[in-house]
Amino acid sequence: MSLPSAGRAVLVLALLLGAPRGAPAQQDSTTRDSLSARVDALEQRLRVLTRLRELEADSAREAARTRPGVAAGADGFVLRSADGRWRLRVGGYFQADGRFYLHDSLALGINSLIIRRARPIVEGTVFQYFDFRIMPDFGNGQPTIYEAYLEARLLPALAIRAGKYKPPIGLERLQSVTDVRFIERGFPTNLVPNRDVGFQASGEFGGGVLAYAVGVFNGVPDLGFGDVDASDAKEVAGRLFAVPFIRRGRHAPFDLGVGVAGSIGNERGTVAAPGTSALRTPGQLTAFRYRSNGTVAGTTIEDGRRSRIEPQAYLYRGSFGLLAQYTVSRHTVRRDSAIAKIRHSGWQVAASLFLTGEKASFRSVTPKKLFDPRAGHWGALEIAARVQETSVADAAFPVFADPGASVQRIRAWGIGANWHLARGVKLMVDYERATFLKGATAGNRPPEQFLATRLQTVF
Amino acid sequence: MKDALARSPAPLLLTLAGGLLAASAVGAQKPVTLLNVSYDPTRELYQDVNQAFAAQWKAKTGQTVTVRMSHGGSGKQARSVIDGLEADVVTLALAYDIDEIAARGGLLPANWQSRLPQNSTPYTSTIVLLVRKGNPKRIRDWGDLIRPGVSVISANPKTSGGARWNYLAAWAWALRQPGGDEAKARAFVTSLYKNVPVLDAGARGSTTTFVERGIGDVLIAWENEALLAIRELGPDKFEIVAPSLSILAEPPVAVVDRVAKKRGTAAMAQAYLEFLYTPEGQELAAKNYYRPRNTAVAAKYASQFPKLTLITIDQVFGGWAKAQRTHFADGGVFDQIYASR
Repeated sequence: MSLPSAGRAVLVLALLLGAPRGAPAQQDSTTRDSLSARVDALEQRLRVLTRLRELEADSAREAARTRPGVAAGADGFVLRSADGRWRLRVGGYFQADGRFYLHDSLALGINSLIIRRARPIVEGTVFQYFDFRIMPDFGNGQPTIYEAYLEARLLPALAIRAGKYKPPIGLERLQSVTDVRFIERGFPTNLVPNRDVGFQASGEFGGGVLAYAVGVFNGVPDLGFGDVDASDAKEVAGRLFAVPFIRRGRHAPFDLGVGVAGSIGNERGTVAAPGTSALRTPGQLTAFRYRSNGTVAGTTIEDGRRSRIEPQAYLYRGSFGLLAQYTVSRHTVRRDSAIAKIRHSGWQVAASLFLTGEKASFRSVTPKKLFDPRAGHWGALEIAARVQETSVADAAFPVFADPGASVQRIRAWGIGANWHLARGVKLMVDYERATFLKGATAGNRPPEQFLATRLQTVF
Repeated sequence: MKDALARSPAPLLLTLAGGLLAASAVGAQKPVTLLNVSYDPTRELYQDVNQAFAAQWKAKTGQTVTVRMSHGGSGKQARSVIDGLEADVVTLALAYDIDEIAARGGLLPANWQSRLPQNSTPYTSTIVLLVRKGNPKRIRDWGDLIRPGVSVISANPKTSGGARWNYLAAWAWALRQPGGDEAKARAFVTSLYKNVPVLDAGARGSTTTFVERGIGDVLIAWENEALLAIRELGPDKFEIVAPSLSILAEPPVAVVDRVAKKRGTAAMAQAYLEFLYTPEGQELAAKNYYRPRNTAVAAKYASQFPKLTLITIDQVFGGWAKAQRTHFADGGVFDQIYASR
């Protein structure tokens, strides 16, 4: 920052030109010395100011390095220690739904507005390697601890998790509910556990190309949600999933994930807690259930081996997305002295497309232009369609389930539109039509036409 | 073979034991890293020391050792160690900073200073004045630093050990002037800091300010730092002014027991510090302008150090604990002086 000597000479000369003409030589010399001293003093002040700015910048850098971080944004509210080894995030999501059953002449469904999910999330990391997550749910008018677990991330290839969480089976179940393309998940998800308590080891190899998870759980019915176990029998669940192009990043031809998951275990139900599974319609009405009248003779219970298997895949290319799964859930059921192995199955193929050009993903998508009407930005628009089917084997009828009250098969197709205002903030509308086999005293249950809406906010 | 093993497992056990011994012998040769957390101006000294110690250790034990360094203001470095920086050894500017590591961090015993010769101070230094060539402001002694128009460069005593030595040397000089007392010393030091335009965090930073940024007329500096500046930049640019009185600065060294024990480096860390007392270590200290303790080496290098009257911190200030409490603790004399500028 020092002035070059030529510059100094020019500056002194310029100042001298401003001095009175014709002054004696002695006076000129004195003036020159005085001006030179002033230039020196100014130069020193300039250097001091520059150095002080350098030191302030150093201090700011040091402070940023050592000071705990606080952030608020799309990822919620985050506190982080300076070294990043401690972290606390407070976030959550909220979903307000409208459910409408069209042409519902038998009044099977009730048109309603519900708080489907209201889930604050507290999660974090302690001592760098240990994560925790607590997520209650206040939706559906019933407060519940939905997830609560600890996880030790020991190595990329090994993490140990304990607590209550999603067992590693259903693909769409493992997708965050804030990222699913339809308001209600598809039929295959009805055949896998929702949340269960257990231990799990998981990890990945090859930079995420291959991931595994295997765990021991209490065991819950299909779509079940458990806090405590009613029997000594346990269930083992596992999943192997490959994302072959993950290491090619942006240069991958497409985002493909393919895998297989399953579970096996035993279940011993009782008349009070039969442990059997049910099937739901797209409108979340129960369409199949096993017999239950509170007596041993009239109640079907789960009694023996229960297993599930699900081949699963997704594919995303550009704005287009495709998700497919086929799930088989086998149950050993007993009613009084009658025992049978009953097969439940379900599949779905769901496609989605961003009309506004966003890159589709298994995870959340951020609109290219966040909703800002004053700037003429309206977010992202996505359309979706799916076909799906679920069924129960013939062997369930009529001994274990009543064909006059429970359907044997549901086929459905649906379309939907999602308006993404920002990441995690969206308006959804779906229409789904389902037809049934059996389920009525005479013939088949009438078709269901279901219209659903959702307002979702993630914070 | 299978039958032989079935008859007696001894050969197999011997093979296994031999393998384990071999593996443990290989383990002993595993390269080891030490972390030396030091103060600002010791970079050049420990580059030389680390290289020489590594060679000596390798020759003696066959083991490769790499000594990593961390440099900064001495007080700041001590806080980093207390806060978890895993130093095997600390080589700081003053004993108080290591006392803090012992007291607040509990990382080494309170009697750490008695574990090595000469109060764990293998070399000493002092405080001198570095001026620009020709001494344009005619600075001859401490008293010239408070003249109007004299710009003085010194680091911040709150973060820099060297700056605390600077401050105390100036205070001691004022006390020793005819009619000098605590009030006059305080007034003198207050005037001195009024002439300090920039407070760097560490001694090396203030050298940068003076030497590289061209700020100020005089740098209050470690003697070794001033001599190094002249060696690196040429005697045609700077010269040293030896004040009539200065302070004997004793930068101590210590093994951080808890860290060294945890990392299994205690013996090596001890050997590293003991190396500083060897004739070779003392030579390296002298070559880097630290005053060696070894009398023979000191005599050999006597000509490079100006003759000074040196007081000690115990003589004038009653030791580091008292000096720290009085002058440099939050709200102490320095804070009061600097706030009144």
